[in-house]
Amino acid sequence: MSQIIIQGLLLSGLYALIAVGFTLIFSIGRVLNLAYGAYLMIGGYVYYHFTQVLGLPQIAGILMAAIFGCVIGILKYRLIVKTLKGDHVAVEISTLILAVVIQAGIVLVFNDSSKILHPIVPGVWRIGGATVTFNILTAALASWAILIGLYLFVRNTHIGRAMQAVSMDVKGAAISGVDPDRINLITWGISGALGAVAGVFFASYTQLSPSMWVAPLIIAVAVVIVGGIGSIIGSLIVAHIIGFMEIISTTLIAAELRGVFTMLLIIGVLVMRPRGLFGREEL
Amino acid sequence: MSGILRSAAAAGALLFAVQAAQAEVKVGFIGSLSSDTGLSTLRGAELAIEELNAAGGVLGGQQIKLIKADTGEDVTEGIKAYEYLAETEEVDFIVSGSIDDVSLGWLPRMVEYQIPTLDTWTSYIGIIDKLVEDYDSYKPYFMNIASDEALATLYIDFGKDVLADKMGWKSVVILQEDTAFGNAINGLVSEALAPNAGIDVVDTIVYDIATVDFAPLFSRAVDSGADFIYLISSVNSQVVSSQYVKLQVPMGMTGVNVAALGQEYWEDTGGAGGGISTLSPVPSVGFALDPKSQEFVDKYVAKYGDSRPKFPHFNGFNAYHGLKQAFAAAEEAGGFNNSTWVDAMEKQDLVLEKDGQMWLRYGFWGRDEVEPRTGRTYPHNARFDITDPYDDGSPSMVVIQWYEDGTAAVVYPEKYATGEFQVPSWVKK
Amino acid sequence: MGIRWQHIALWIAFIVVMLALPEFVSKGTLRTIIFANFLAIFAISWDVLSGRTGYISFGHPFLIGIGAYTSAILSYRFGFPVAASIPLAVVATMIGGTLFFLPALRIRGSYFALVTLAFMELMYQLVQVIRPDLTGGTRGMSGIETITRGAVNNYYLSFSLMVIIALAMWLVMKTRLGTALSAIGMNEESVRGSGLDTTKLKLAAFMIAAFIAGLGGAFYVHYLGSIAPRALFDINFLFTIIVAALIGGASTIIGPMIGAFFLTFLLEYLRPVLPGAERYFIYGGIALILYMYQPKGIYEVAKQGWGRLRAVRAGAGP
Repeated sequence: MSQIIIQGLLLSGLYALIAVGFTLIFSIGRVLNLAYGAYLMIGGYVYYHFTQVLGLPQIAGILMAAIFGCVIGILKYRLIVKTLKGDHVAVEISTLILAVVIQAGIVLVFNDSSKILHPIVPGVWRIGGATVTFNILTAALASWAILIGLYLFVRNTHIGRAMQAVSMDVKGAAISGVDPDRINLITWGISGALGAVAGVFFASYTQLSPSMWVAPLIIAVAVVIVGGIGSIIGSLIVAHIIGFMEIISTTLIAAELRGVFTMLLIIGVLVMRPRGLFGREEL
Repeated sequence: MSGILRSAAAAGALLFAVQAAQAEVKVGFIGSLSSDTGLSTLRGAELAIEELNAAGGVLGGQQIKLIKADTGEDVTEGIKAYEYLAETEEVDFIVSGSIDDVSLGWLPRMVEYQIPTLDTWTSYIGIIDKLVEDYDSYKPYFMNIASDEALATLYIDFGKDVLADKMGWKSVVILQEDTAFGNAINGLVSEALAPNAGIDVVDTIVYDIATVDFAPLFSRAVDSGADFIYLISSVNSQVVSSQYVKLQVPMGMTGVNVAALGQEYWEDTGGAGGGISTLSPVPSVGFALDPKSQEFVDKYVAKYGDSRPKFPHFNGFNAYHGLKQAFAAAEEAGGFNNSTWVDAMEKQDLVLEKDGQMWLRYGFWGRDEVEPRTGRTYPHNARFDITDPYDDGSPSMVVIQWYEDGTAAVVYPEKYATGEFQVPSWVKK
Repeated sequence: MGIRWQHIALWIAFIVVMLALPEFVSKGTLRTIIFANFLAIFAISWDVLSGRTGYISFGHPFLIGIGAYTSAILSYRFGFPVAASIPLAVVATMIGGTLFFLPALRIRGSYFALVTLAFMELMYQLVQVIRPDLTGGTRGMSGIETITRGAVNNYYLSFSLMVIIALAMWLVMKTRLGTALSAIGMNEESVRGSGLDTTKLKLAAFMIAAFIAGLGGAFYVHYLGSIAPRALFDINFLFTIIVAALIGGASTIIGPMIGAFFLTFLLEYLRPVLPGAERYFIYGGIALILYMYQPKGIYEVAKQGWGRLRAVRAGAGP
């Protein structure tokens, strides 16, 4: 039992971190960024290149991943979202194409064999029946720190409040002197950086491979759909629902059905409660 | 846009003009051009072709031209690639480094075109079964790697000789991925392990191949109280093995781990792969090579040593020797375009000796030949030997182990062993 | 919108040219066209559902897969003749289509896209887990009965299927049903306001789309002769279908056809020039740039170009 709780908490922390950047874009731009998984992939590969190939310290690797993610987020906003003038369907389709292009690019640069990252923090810790790696513990703690930081940022800073305003009503925000374009740009940058950092942790948990962008995208989608639009707290809760569901299904029910439950949850919630469990509340 | 199409068309036309100028034999390669698997086969074939061409060509002095068709490990692309080789390039012979479902995807095309085809990587017994059922349709197909069943059978011996007798292990928990491969191997192992080796299967854990977190699964394995874990993993194998190492799971683990088959495993896992052991087709990593195979490796390293894979995987050897055999058969049969080639190919036999004893053998099981231990036929499958002292063919597999210092060795069978089977240092004996 | 004689003449010309094609091009090219024909069928099916009504489906492989798997299992495992397995597969796909339709009663836009994506992923996982003895699990099935052999025969078969579907859809879209569907795509509320039953209209669109997807999927699997979950329920397959419809021109019949031919030939013509992974990179890059340049597709570009040409001619005339 204690083992399920510990493992569930850790995995859920990782999932929350994966989902938060996606939620951010969805609530502010109302756009599904299907290339979101590609941020994670790029983050992971950038980290791999700088730390394991070039031998830079790990913190530098994470920083480089965040910078790359941020730049790509900004470029994506400038070159795709703005060009298409925020047409949702067009943005969704082009981000899907972009994700496939990035996948091909990764194969081109790194070839398609999968790679394993060194643990960011090595070592294990045994409590009860559970074994916890310091790596996943770090990921979960970092995830919490980042989520709290983001929450405070959105609540308490000028830019954060402007983000809330844009998320609720773009025109209203514009009238009250907020530049929606600038806020969008910042949001895309933050989302990219968050995604890339989540990618480093996700990859250190699993592996680097050119198709690794699909799984986290589905996690992010599940969290956003089930949680409901634009709620950081809602995303956090749902990340835990999904994380625990996964641990419970693998430990107690049938490990091979791991993904099936998540899909059924998405479909069920969307059909029953299209606005998600936590509806639409402020950011 | 039209510029690209036009230049593509022009390039095609140019290619055509060059082809028409000289008599040549065309060999097609089908496989992924960006995976170690695909590239091993491709490079093995390239080296064989280089040698044959340098030695004055084949079939009356013709030069061999190699045409590559990339599958990107995608099933539909594989079918398109096969069609491209058959109908646009009209190749005479195809060498494949495809993975299981890609091979199964283009197999109906091979039946349609009847182009002699040699598979060097997939070991799926289901394909050999198709030859058993419908020999005439599938006869141009050859697979020069021992099929799954032969791999598993020899593995049972390892279980008895090493795991049970030497390590004293009496019970196992099977950790199996949810794939057709996983089910097949699990079936063979769980049915034979207990009666033959005296090892009880106390639990079987089947996991989804996209599993992110193996901690709960390893906890379940530890809770089962078994002596060791038998892992069956062919997809995303790095994840499970690196988490085993990172979590320092306090029990031994062996089995099938496809990721650990290549020399790049250590680099790809960033060193987090020590202690992992797996069965491997031959010649594996850490395998002592006979002089002829060593010669091939030296040439390979001299030519490709700068880019991945720096060292050929087993299928690279298969492609190199297999391609030469295919052409030897063609010389005897007067070309590839008749069934006499199949007869000639069936008779190819290359024995490689080391220190005066049979070390490796490249040949095929005949159509009706029954392998004595498994009691079934293996038409057009690599001729393997699964009985000590392995003097009738290559062993169907060896067990290799990666040690924690990054070296790898063959630990079973005894004849081929270059090291000892060990449990990782964090496992209390 | 009435049917004009120019359109009929164009259809006839198109069919005549395509029927004569095997005389002039290589077998390899015919093989490429066969794939383009199937892609065109899938893209037309997607367009009926998504291009017209605006319910963007990210799960089209789900429908195609039901058709393909049903027919494959019936003929390969149970020895059904193809003449029976294909109609049954179409029926199964239409049942699947109703399943698809349920969420569309309540949600639209991005949410609908996501739930269909979830359908596709669910199917991908279920096919491997539930009854692998029937589905062949992860490896799929190989050696499924083919309807005919050879490039030329298969070319005629796939082209006939494609052109019949395209013509039928063209005619359907000329009726009031077609107009109403497009109206839903523009503004569902106002259609409902004008007294039409939008639920019935949507159901019609879903059933037509599922019918085509099932038919296409079943014929496709009996062309390929093999089936694997990774080949069907895959984001790359989804990507190709959607992009074919959009890059050609959504909400038209000719658009998805143009898109399908363009994408298939682009990928195939890159093969001799860029044999490796670069091919997919360039292919995706071209698709992205083209789509960004004109989200309405090649059809729109051509129409505008034609219009401009006419304007120039008219201006230059006496």
